[in-house]
Amino acid sequence: MKWWKHVAALELRKILAYRSDFWVTFLGQILIQILVARAFWQMIYDSQGVTTMKGYTLEMMNLNYLIIPIGTRILTGENIGFLAREVYDGTFTRYLLYPLSVFQYKTITYLTYSMFYVFQLILIYCLFRTFISSSPFMLADVGNLISGVLFFFVAAAVYGMMAILIEMISLWADNIWSLAVMLRFFVSFFGGGFIPLTFLPAWAQETLLWTPFPYLISLPVRTIMGLSNFAEVSKGVLILFIWILFFWGVVKMMLKKGSIDIRVLEYETLPKTLCLFPAFFVL
Amino acid sequence: MKRYLKLYVYFLRFSFSKAMEFRVDFTFKIVMDILYYTVNILFFKVLFLHTPLLAGWTEEQMMIFVSSYILVDAISMTVLSSNLWWLPFHINRGDLDYHLIRPVSPLFFLSLREFSASSFMNLLIAIGIFAYSLLSYSQDISAWNVLLLILLLINGTLIYYCCQMLMILPVFWTQSTKGFMDLFYSMGIAMERPDKIFKGWLRIVFTIFLPFALIASFPVRLFIEAFHWPTFFHLTAVSVSLWIIMLYFWRRGLRTYSSASS
Repeated sequence: MKWWKHVAALELRKILAYRSDFWVTFLGQILIQILVARAFWQMIYDSQGVTTMKGYTLEMMNLNYLIIPIGTRILTGENIGFLAREVYDGTFTRYLLYPLSVFQYKTITYLTYSMFYVFQLILIYCLFRTFISSSPFMLADVGNLISGVLFFFVAAAVYGMMAILIEMISLWADNIWSLAVMLRFFVSFFGGGFIPLTFLPAWAQETLLWTPFPYLISLPVRTIMGLSNFAEVSKGVLILFIWILFFWGVVKMMLKKGSIDIRVLEYETLPKTLCLFPAFFVL
Repeated sequence: MKRYLKLYVYFLRFSFSKAMEFRVDFTFKIVMDILYYTVNILFFKVLFLHTPLLAGWTEEQMMIFVSSYILVDAISMTVLSSNLWWLPFHINRGDLDYHLIRPVSPLFFLSLREFSASSFMNLLIAIGIFAYSLLSYSQDISAWNVLLLILLLINGTLIYYCCQMLMILPVFWTQSTKGFMDLFYSMGIAMERPDKIFKGWLRIVFTIFLPFALIASFPVRLFIEAFHWPTFFHLTAVSVSLWIIMLYFWRRGLRTYSSASS
């Protein structure tokens, strides 16, 4: 078996170690999010007496809030502390013995989580298609779903780089948990995870286009919903690649300035590692 | 009671000196909570760009609601959250033994031992936002109304605590790492929305069984709208029941607990 398969199998075992907890939490979270969002937006649409707001009907809004929690999980992959915990626990040095670099290892663990959440997204999608087939949830056809998921993978590469940057601060700071949570807040709010970006004032939407945020959540979700065309998706993916290069440069710079000099931090292997993202093959 | 107060003062001293050892983390946590408050306020500000009323509340009334749940969150983060975060670890590792043999209530000790000094700074900010929202409210408000709101928000914090405990206590039986904490945090969104949005069976769920709507929304409704005795009784009855249920499961959990030595 190839090394990455071992790593992925190990991570999967960890994810499913407490199965009942895992599934109750997963289904509970999705259910709560969608029910509360539905009730909230229903009230807004009813009180306004409108059927469409900023290009979203109520059903589209529901679909949006159904995809967002799982999409965000695909994006954020592994839990906070995936690198920092190892630095603090001192287990970081084990990569000296491993026949692979820390970045290769972490990319596979990150991808395993993301892949597992893709499976969850497909599961939820199938459930809705089967049981709520009469609603405009059907808007999400299979082609859009596949494109959106691939888009999420490219977005996950950018988010992963941002997360690695934050996690690497653990080489100097005594705790990075708050920073990682801040990153999630930023991505959720400015990425359209809290509220569709079309609701923001025009100047804010234009400003955000200069940042990676709209391409991390909003655009992949809109792709799944069939709301974005090929040109928008291509442009979005291209912009994400530019951000990948930018963050890669910053990661390199941080490693050079790092206070420790551990052989395992082979940043030269990073581009090769990134090729593991399936979306890169597609492009 | 005096003994418990004295003990709590020691907890405070210990927590502050510990927090000062990790100054970077201390600063990061303050910034993180400020960001959380900003995002929540911005969310409703953006919505009010498109609608004059939300659940029958104007923007200034909604800001009182937002500042109220921010205040509950800040109190909880300062006084309880750090402790409850570690509770599953104590249960799973058998560390609960040390707390069970002490001559104080283990629930008191485990729930209040760590006072989050960094969150305390945010509690001050949350109090500031809360005070600002009340002061900028254009309607007349009496001191009695403000006092009632504060008391009900403290009660809301207790409801929040009980709900969180009820999501953690299954750890006694499942031995999982966090219980249903992630689910609890997701449910927090129900606290951050006005209760009037919930209709039918969903209203029953969020006002009786998982009473997140009672944490901030009910108190603010009693404050903004005319005082409504049935709402007040509902709030009191659910709070008391939830406390009793939480204590029941805590005791059942302790009976199930197998210590490190067994």
